Amino acid sequence: MAANINWRTINIDALDPESAYNFDLTTLTPAVQPVSSSEVQTLSGQVRQLLRGGNAEGALRGALENAPYGADEQGKAMHLSVVTEVLGQIRQAEMTPLLQRMYQAEGGSELCDTLMKYLYKGMGQGTPTSNSTPKNLTPQATGFSQVGGRHFGGGEGGGQAMSVFLSWHEKLVEMVGPGSIVRVMSDRRTV
Amino acid sequence: MSQSLRPYLSCVRSTLTAALSLSNFASQAAERHNVPEIEAASSPELLLNPLTVSRNQEERVFVEPSVNSVRVSIRIKQADEIEHILVHKFTRFLTQRAEAFFILRRKAVPGYDISFLITNFHTEEMLKHKLVDFIIQFMEEVDKEISEMKLFLNARARFVAESFLTPFD
Amino acid sequence: MLLLDYQNVLIESLLKDRLAPDATPTSIDQVVSDFDNVTFHISTPTSKSQILVSIRVKCFDELVKYGAQAVLEREYGPYIVQPESGYDFSVQIDLAQLPESQEEKDELVAKISLLKRNAMAAPFEQAFDEHTELQEQARQYTSESAPQGVREGGEVRAIHYREEEGIYIKASHDRVTVIFSTVFREETDRVFGKVFLQEFVDARKRGVQNAPQVLQSNEPPLELQGQPGLARGSGKGEVGYITFVLFPRHLTPQRRGEVISHIQTFRDYFHYHIKASKAYIHSRMRRRTADFLQVLRRARPEAEEKERKTASGRTFRVQA
Repeated sequence: MAANINWRTINIDALDPESAYNFDLTTLTPAVQPVSSSEVQTLSGQVRQLLRGGNAEGALRGALENAPYGADEQGKAMHLSVVTEVLGQIRQAEMTPLLQRMYQAEGGSELCDTLMKYLYKGMGQGTPTSNSTPKNLTPQATGFSQVGGRHFGGGEGGGQAMSVFLSWHEKLVEMVGPGSIVRVMSDRRTV
Repeated sequence: MSQSLRPYLSCVRSTLTAALSLSNFASQAAERHNVPEIEAASSPELLLNPLTVSRNQEERVFVEPSVNSVRVSIRIKQADEIEHILVHKFTRFLTQRAEAFFILRRKAVPGYDISFLITNFHTEEMLKHKLVDFIIQFMEEVDKEISEMKLFLNARARFVAESFLTPFD
Repeated sequence: MLLLDYQNVLIESLLKDRLAPDATPTSIDQVVSDFDNVTFHISTPTSKSQILVSIRVKCFDELVKYGAQAVLEREYGPYIVQPESGYDFSVQIDLAQLPESQEEKDELVAKISLLKRNAMAAPFEQAFDEHTELQEQARQYTSESAPQGVREGGEVRAIHYREEEGIYIKASHDRVTVIFSTVFREETDRVFGKVFLQEFVDARKRGVQNAPQVLQSNEPPLELQGQPGLARGSGKGEVGYITFVLFPRHLTPQRRGEVISHIQTFRDYFHYHIKASKAYIHSRMRRRTADFLQVLRRARPEAEEKERKTASGRTFRVQA
């Protein structure tokens, strides 16, 4: 081993199989069926078909009931875009009655929780991960070309999609309360 | 209040209300220690799924909950270079006084302008809904303050320039 | 105080005290600073009634090159003495040989407190004279037939009056161009400076139509091509060039004195207001922070003071 290893920075907890650091998270996650990308694709096709047929409610239900918990990142992203599409198609005035019907039906609260997960996931899109865009603490000098860590003026981008999520969120919280948000945070089955 | 600001803030409000369900929890890694788990990150089982509320690409709130602490990070709108520098100055000013603010984190999470760290001790000592009020009000006023400062700067610059040039007239 | 004074207020008040009719001569030994690293030394080296005022300017050599000696001799003729060692130029007034009338005394005080302004004025005056000359010459030609010298204007007079900053003056037959180079030490100064300069540039469009045209850039303007020692910075815009174009209307003999005084103060005026804005914004943030703290304090439940009663109905307080 190289002699210049800084022993103080080694996380010794990581080396101890018994420590809390190495807790096996899968024991907390309910067993989920692995879902392949092609299955997600088939599902997306079905949902889109319902949507085209004018049955937005059915499309939303279908998408939420069959949320692919077991899919990989790519499959999840695919499903998210379908859900986003469906949500975007439903008009403001229809949101509350639709949610009400969904909530009161069998297993409705489950569906609402899933919807809540998708809302947060949707809003989290395009979030820079901490390593991809390092933020400069001292602001960059930009001159006229304005090339910096930050794209000024482009801030309104995505505002339209976000306002869809925000109004859905508002309506949903009104009905199911903050408990649903807590379940989003604590449920290890992520969408 | 602008059309899209209200749902944004109400979403942040309900998210925070839900996230601030904290309980005392002693460290599992070191005996007789009690650390904010979200910062220590020594036990993955105690960390919950982080949530993002965004209004658009440039304005969002990132909530990272854990069993005994919540980290809330805010990205403040910056339309141009002037606003950028004003936000930078203002957040720096605040974080240097973090001691007085109890819940203010001394350093912002990367990608955000300012962060708060709320632990179970804060929620025990202070009223939870008022803490949420504080953060909401903070978000509202920061935007207002930044644009007021910018207006002031422009007005002053104009006045100064005209006063200097008038004697030549 | 919006605009800066042209004279040095400290020297002015000091001399006024000494020259007052009922003042008794006392010894003075004072070093006074002015803008742009100019230092004055006021002292009474030989006797209490002889006041020596010396000035040190970083770029005195350059000023002499552009005719400062002549300007200073014109202004201070009989008072000039051998420069004190360590200083560039000295004048001495003898309290025993003052002019009679109060007006003349005041005039003398005003003149001496303008020492810096007069020293710095030389290159401006020279350039203005050159402009008049070129204008005369240009009258004899149409714009096409003018010889090279007349069309291009004179050489650039450079005054490196601060470590990294300079004033450049160039005369032409239809204008005199004054260029300031300035350095922004801090990112905030740079951004604020940009806002301010933009307003200087726009001011002409808005109402002050007769003002000199102002241009700004982060690169040395064309007039300065080939100048040695130009600050360029590292391409991040911390160096700024501000160009004032003075038109013949500003250069008439009646107005030039005022124009020279005024334009000299530009750099200091500009930076002074940047600093003042920063100070204001800082105090604003302080106030706003206090507001935020107030809101946060509301989150603390008030410690209710419960009234406790004994069985007999008397109240008592728990001793802390």
